Amino acid sequence: MDSLNLLMEGFSSALTPMNMLWVLVGCLLGTAVGVLPGLGSSMAVALLLPVTFALDPTAAFIMFAGVYFGGMFGDSTMAILMNTPGQASAIASTFEGHKMAKDGRAPQALATAAIGAFIGGMVASVLVVFLAPALADFSANFGPAEFFALALFAFVATSSVVSDSAVKGLAALVIGLGIATVGIDPFSGAERFSFGAPQMFDGISLITVTVAILALGEVFHIASRIRRDPAGKQIASAGRPFLSRAELKEAAPAWARGTAIGLPFGVIPAGGSEIPTFISYDVERRIDRRRKNPKFGKGAIRGLAAPEAAGNATTGTAMGALLALGLPVSATAAIMLAAFQQYGLQPGPLLFDRSPDLVWALLASFFIAMVVLLIINLPFAGLWAKLLLIPAPYLYAGITVFCGLGVYATSGAVFDLLMLLGLGLVGFIMRRHGMPLAPLMIGVVLGPLAETSMRDALLSSNGDYSVFVTGPIPLVLYGLLFIVLAATVRSKVVNRTRQDV
Amino acid sequence: MSTSGPSSAGTAEQPIENSTSADGQPPVRTSWWDGRSGLLLSLVMVAFSTYLLVGILTMDVGEGADFPGPKFFPGILMVAGYVLAALLALHYVRTPEYPTETSSRKYRTFTDWSAVLWTAGGFLLFALTLETLGWIIAAALMFWFVAKGFGSRRPIFDVSLALLMSSAVYLAFSIGLGLSLPSGILGGGF
Repeated sequence: MDSLNLLMEGFSSALTPMNMLWVLVGCLLGTAVGVLPGLGSSMAVALLLPVTFALDPTAAFIMFAGVYFGGMFGDSTMAILMNTPGQASAIASTFEGHKMAKDGRAPQALATAAIGAFIGGMVASVLVVFLAPALADFSANFGPAEFFALALFAFVATSSVVSDSAVKGLAALVIGLGIATVGIDPFSGAERFSFGAPQMFDGISLITVTVAILALGEVFHIASRIRRDPAGKQIASAGRPFLSRAELKEAAPAWARGTAIGLPFGVIPAGGSEIPTFISYDVERRIDRRRKNPKFGKGAIRGLAAPEAAGNATTGTAMGALLALGLPVSATAAIMLAAFQQYGLQPGPLLFDRSPDLVWALLASFFIAMVVLLIINLPFAGLWAKLLLIPAPYLYAGITVFCGLGVYATSGAVFDLLMLLGLGLVGFIMRRHGMPLAPLMIGVVLGPLAETSMRDALLSSNGDYSVFVTGPIPLVLYGLLFIVLAATVRSKVVNRTRQDV
Repeated sequence: MSTSGPSSAGTAEQPIENSTSADGQPPVRTSWWDGRSGLLLSLVMVAFSTYLLVGILTMDVGEGADFPGPKFFPGILMVAGYVLAALLALHYVRTPEYPTETSSRKYRTFTDWSAVLWTAGGFLLFALTLETLGWIIAAALMFWFVAKGFGSRRPIFDVSLALLMSSAVYLAFSIGLGLSLPSGILGGGF
């Protein structure tokens, strides 16, 4: 049980008072941001990224993990009480969760969500501890062709599966990949797309892109509607925030099924936890229809339990895939990867050999974060909802100030602030017209890997393109990609024909 | 990229009339542009691909670069960008997308451009004045502008809150964490 020993060492370094403090700070911040309507965990991580450079890497990542999971917990609170999901992965929770709250069962709904997220996250973390090292070993003999196949898989899957329109997803991806090519080409030393501007020789900073697309663009987007949209109504949550034995018995199978559905999606680069939450919701609905007394539509506890467990299970295994393969499956994971790169660390097979202290402390902090989040969410979900008392103008003005602070603090140049504004407006236009942002982020982060592995492979084969399809691993990946695409096309066709039902 | 920002936004969004009635059905057509403001995306893609094209044409590649040179990968992206721009344009011409107007009133544009301009303008002002006015004043200005854009109705109170906020950030991050924030005109005397 090598993993267990390493994990225990990880716990001993994660349980220092300072690191415990960072877990707590991360969990509190993540939950707070998740609770605020319209803000998801990806925005929180984006805003925190520049500010954490004063910390050592271990502390920074422990905090990020808290924020990442905290965002998932906090999102469901608002999905249930106000019917406003902070990010796409909480949409499935609104269907039955909000109905439960309307029915006067808000505390039970919040408890179901928190316990579901806890179970999903815990199971995923255990799995990651035992499987990630093996996955890292397996991927240690990946060459350029394998990495290119992996990157291509991530690109195509995120841009076509998640978005309603594959064209919009691919367009976002092309912008992201294009941004990644700016700067001096590492192979030839040629200056690319900088047009002589010395500020662009090193490329466009990932921090600038992240903050622009995920934070500033979102602020503009909210500004564009906030004076017109009617304010959401919040349902007060009062009473016993725990579940009765009957409710636990009712929810338990749904938690288990949701977790099982969510786990594999963390490793499939299909845009994070949005798809598994919907699949698990759908599975529960089908099972419910066969029961004597169908509960869906009236606030079924299972319809909330399953997507919550699935969402956090995916988040957990996604962190495993990020650490072991260096492959981000969602926008938030892409920012985490960017953070690793800022510290000069490259997630992937070598990370487990080179920085075992950091990896195991981070994995241990997942467990601590889950427990902390359960404690701060289960009894106090109603208190978190009080955050909505902050007047929106001051909240968003503060976020804008932090966007400027983060980017100026890392670059020290007005040029980057103007770039931030320009990209933020692009992000706003994309959001307004339903263009997904995750493909852009994944393109920016994985673009250099895709390009270098593509050119490495072609250089070693003297320009022979068949190099991309030799070897079993690329072929398997392309096969999987084909299956994913076929399944997407099928489900889209099915949805279209069912739309009027 | 930044070239395709606010200027093009104004021209393409202008002719849009109010978008949808409350039940989500398209309203009576008032203009061809109804529901087609998404053509802006197509414009962004054309602008970005053209940026890549010009960059590729003017790129100075050293002698003896092997086959997949520095132009290879961006070249693929450039072509894909133009193709996607055309597909996006085709999509919006054939099937306009009407956003659901949730407000009881009808507006000329779905987007509240005055709020966006206050917010983006505040940020632009911040970027341009940061190094002369210093962090405290520039950030406070931005805070005030954004709060105004988001519909705050207490301009005088906002001034004090904005200054409080920017000073607190300056103290915490510049003096506390050691990030370098410009002190600007306030720096000389202290």
